Amino acid sequence: MSDNIQNVLQMQNVVMQFGGVRAIDDLSLDVNKGEIVALIGPNGAGKTTAFNCITGIYTPTSGGVSFNGSSIKGKSPDEITKLGIARTFQNIRLFSNLTVFDNVLIAKHLRARDNVFSATLRLNFAEERRMREETAELLKEQGLYELKDEIASSLPYGLQRHLEIARALATQPKLLLLDEPAAGMNPQETQELTDFIVKIRDQYDLSIFMIEHHMDLVMQISERIYVLNFGKLIAQGTPDEIQSNPEVIEAYLGGSEDA
Amino acid sequence: MSANKLVNKEKRRNIILSLLLIALVLGICGYLEANKYTYSYMISIIERSMVYAVVAVSMNLVNGFTGLFSLGQAGFMALGAYVTAIFTIPVSQRPSVYYISGINPVIANIELPVIVAMILGGLVAAGVAALIGFPVLRLKSDYLAIATLGFAEIIRACIAAPQFDTITNGSYGLKSIPGFTSIFQPLILSAICIGFMVLLINSSYGRMFKAVREDEIAAEAMGINLFKTKELSFVISSFFAGVSGGMLAMFMRSIDSKTFQVALTYDILLIVVIGGIGSVTGSVLGAFIVTAGREILRFFDEPLYIGSINVPLFRPGFRMVIFSILLMIVVLFYSKGLMGTNEFSWNGIIGFFKNFGKKKAKKVEGAAR
Repeated sequence: MSDNIQNVLQMQNVVMQFGGVRAIDDLSLDVNKGEIVALIGPNGAGKTTAFNCITGIYTPTSGGVSFNGSSIKGKSPDEITKLGIARTFQNIRLFSNLTVFDNVLIAKHLRARDNVFSATLRLNFAEERRMREETAELLKEQGLYELKDEIASSLPYGLQRHLEIARALATQPKLLLLDEPAAGMNPQETQELTDFIVKIRDQYDLSIFMIEHHMDLVMQISERIYVLNFGKLIAQGTPDEIQSNPEVIEAYLGGSEDA
Repeated sequence: MSANKLVNKEKRRNIILSLLLIALVLGICGYLEANKYTYSYMISIIERSMVYAVVAVSMNLVNGFTGLFSLGQAGFMALGAYVTAIFTIPVSQRPSVYYISGINPVIANIELPVIVAMILGGLVAAGVAALIGFPVLRLKSDYLAIATLGFAEIIRACIAAPQFDTITNGSYGLKSIPGFTSIFQPLILSAICIGFMVLLINSSYGRMFKAVREDEIAAEAMGINLFKTKELSFVISSFFAGVSGGMLAMFMRSIDSKTFQVALTYDILLIVVIGGIGSVTGSVLGAFIVTAGREILRFFDEPLYIGSINVPLFRPGFRMVIFSILLMIVVLFYSKGLMGTNEFSWNGIIGFFKNFGKKKAKKVEGAAR
């Protein structure tokens, strides 16, 4: 029970069924406070589905999801974001036609205290100014401030990924879910991203749960790893344990029955 | 420091230019008002354009800024128009308006000031929109368009229904609606309505609308409640559609349910598309261009003789052919509308003319070589 308090995220026996397909089958996992945890597995293993179950895009068929000890199963995505879970997407989902600044500013509205009339008639400009100042500050911390007036879709790919993470940070999360943050990056960019993830974890006091295919990134910074295959959890443990686990090697390399 | 000064200088210049523009508009309106018997035709075109500008901007708020393909505008205008008309027709005139079925005693003696009646009309439209929004806003794209179109037609059918004869006067329509007292009345009303919507679009709520338009899933992940945001945009848009309906009733002075057929929605959609989906400036420009264009093209409806030869095709209805061809040209060559998603700004205009000058200079240079 004592380590329950440390649990930021907990999934218990989660099943996600689409018609006859079990995309996730009896998945249990947890993420502790301040940890970096990775979820790996071959394509189609159900990793993003697991993320969607956490963030409320899907409601699990059965099983429970809890955040900081209280259940979030069945809550809508915006409620879950308000509670403190932010995410990025596998295919970058920025507000493409808006500026870098507006992309982050929109995320800031989450904790604004205003209503449509006061906002329209500019009655509480202090609130608006606070949001703008916080946005500017965050962009400066992230080194994106010079790009604030650029249209998001005009940024190079790596910066779009960076902006998406910055936008997620703007919601002031306690848990950050990263869905393949290094997808499409070269080894040097991946290394930079590795350092970056550790940096934001420390700087913003986060717990991080990520899906990733770049094994060097995963092995370097994850404290624990979960391995998913065909919706089932096939292994969990430290990077060393995972690397020597025969079942994981089988899932990734095709297995011995072929031989 | 110097950059700051430059910005300040630009700001001051823009304020002066804006004041000049406002003065010019007021001056033109004042001149027209002073000579209203000479220019009555032009005044009526301008007044109609102002009414259409309000409803076009309201439609743009939902379609262009929130990304919901809604086609219910005519229905909400009808609600606003009827509420305004019912409460502003002078009590003394009412027996002659409702001469067939009589008037419902509840509303028989209530006469409200124009502005109050218009706001009431807007609120009724907004309230109905809020109810319709619950089922309809869960739909997406084309399905939403069909559903809103259907609801607009239901509203129109209810207004024309004989059961409501004592309130709406059924298919006979309402007349003796007090008109605008001067051109300044619609000018100020539309300026306030459009001003409010511009402020809304540039506020934090306007940014949420745009976020929903850009990517619904990402917007949700940023803590935006999709349904509430869509409903808000839909209700506010309908409020202003209702107000503009009230203005249309005052402009036309007599309305019936046929005024608010689907064709009206298409007219407004046309204005929005021509002006640019996602540009308030575009909608206002579009309202004036489309309304004025229709009238100017009347030339094509008159029979034309060159010498003694009657030129074929010049007969009533031909202007709509020309108008449609012009529209197709606009849509083909300016597929994003006249303004795209850009807004009016003095810097933009000055930049445009500077670039234009440069291009011309280059051309001249090229020709000289």
